[in-house]
Amino acid sequence: MSLSKNLYLNLIKDDRYMYLVKGLGNTLLITIVAVVVGILLGFLLAYIRTTHDKTGNWKAANLIAHVYITVIRGTPMVLQLLIVYFVVFASVNVPKIIVAFIAFGLNSGAYVAEIIRAGLMSIDEGQYEAGASLGFSYTQTMLYFILPQAIKNVLPALGNEMIVLLKETSVAGYIAMDDLTRGADIIRSQTYSAFTPLLIAAAIYLFFVLIFDSLVKKLERNLKNSDH
Amino acid sequence: MTTDRKPLIEVKHLYKEFSNGSSGREEVLSDISVDFYEGDVAFIVGPSGAGKSTFLRCLNRLESATKGEIFFEGVNICDEKVDIDRHRQKMGMVFQQFNLFPHLSVMSNLTIGPMKLQGLSKEEAEEKAIKLLRRVKLEDRATSYPNQLSGGQKQRIAIARSLCMEPDVMLFDEPTSALDPEMVGEVLEVMRELAEDKMTMLVVTHEMAFAKEVANRILFMADTQILEENDPVNFFGNPQNERLKAFLDKMI
Repeated sequence: MSLSKNLYLNLIKDDRYMYLVKGLGNTLLITIVAVVVGILLGFLLAYIRTTHDKTGNWKAANLIAHVYITVIRGTPMVLQLLIVYFVVFASVNVPKIIVAFIAFGLNSGAYVAEIIRAGLMSIDEGQYEAGASLGFSYTQTMLYFILPQAIKNVLPALGNEMIVLLKETSVAGYIAMDDLTRGADIIRSQTYSAFTPLLIAAAIYLFFVLIFDSLVKKLERNLKNSDH
Repeated sequence: MTTDRKPLIEVKHLYKEFSNGSSGREEVLSDISVDFYEGDVAFIVGPSGAGKSTFLRCLNRLESATKGEIFFEGVNICDEKVDIDRHRQKMGMVFQQFNLFPHLSVMSNLTIGPMKLQGLSKEEAEEKAIKLLRRVKLEDRATSYPNQLSGGQKQRIAIARSLCMEPDVMLFDEPTSALDPEMVGEVLEVMRELAEDKMTMLVVTHEMAFAKEVANRILFMADTQILEENDPVNFFGNPQNERLKAFLDKMI
């Protein structure tokens, strides 16, 4: 089969390219929402853990955060997705994409928490003391002095987590969620031609990973400009 | 010294213990009582490990006292219920390691406190900051970042940052100990001018000659206690305590 015929069969015929377009849309949507959920959750968990380590307060919250992070990081993403879909939402009819938002967001939050915590812990104790000695509360000190420095330090790691998450969403097919990978696989099952749809899907993932990567690098450079 | 003045800081039977290891407790301050008055330039000297820095850090509760009371402007700041952040605004602190905020420009280092804590507008805060930068002779470094400055410049900025909050007392925790020798002078110069302007200052230092010249009171701390206190002339000229005599012999 010639290349043009192959492309026609896998993409044009019966509008099969729409599987990839819709799949890509879902993949990006899940990634973006999960990144936002993950970062919010990650900040909260990191804040709880760091505050406990620095001040000794919030023992119960710290324990919960600690257990949460350990469980999420200690079990496979696919299983977490299946559990959220088939166990947590077993008796409720929730759109699959919402399930994906929640499952991937909860997962990412645990990893982001550890990244941000490492960033917070890397900031010298003297910065906390300088903030306190001027009369800033612990929360204000965190907000104005510690977090901005910590985030700058962990930005590459956060960008990497976003890239990992983008690729990780490819397991969404386990709950019959039509993401990019599943879209390509549906085409394969219809045309019995695996090479073209699967490699196109791979190329699309790679393309977006490279875009994410360059965005993170650009942001890093911008932040560096404000530092010397 | 007139005795009818009310002390700015009253320390009453202050104790501080650090837990070291699993069960051991190490006493670093034991039963310290001392008053500081407005306009005091009090220097605290003594061998390392005597608890000088810990004592200073207890005064703005960067370290919490194990026992005892510290009244600052009449309020017992050791009381857990006290809003310590509000009182810390009135107690400037200068650290050995400067602790400037590296992600903020020199100007922002100075203005963030007055803007966020005292509700000054950006213009008001910057006007104030420029005056203080002039005072420490660094008005041309307003747009610089801390890492572009020398150690001596960093410490002068740190002093200006504290002054920007218009504190009633300035605490100096070994302000020149991390500096190269040639930069000590410029920092001491700023401190000398502050003292001449009647700023209340508590200074932990090893700069004995400077203490002799600037202080109105010198306190000798050793073995977790204040063992002797006197005016500079008698402190150096007529020391009573044996530990102090040995200390001064070693320093000179």
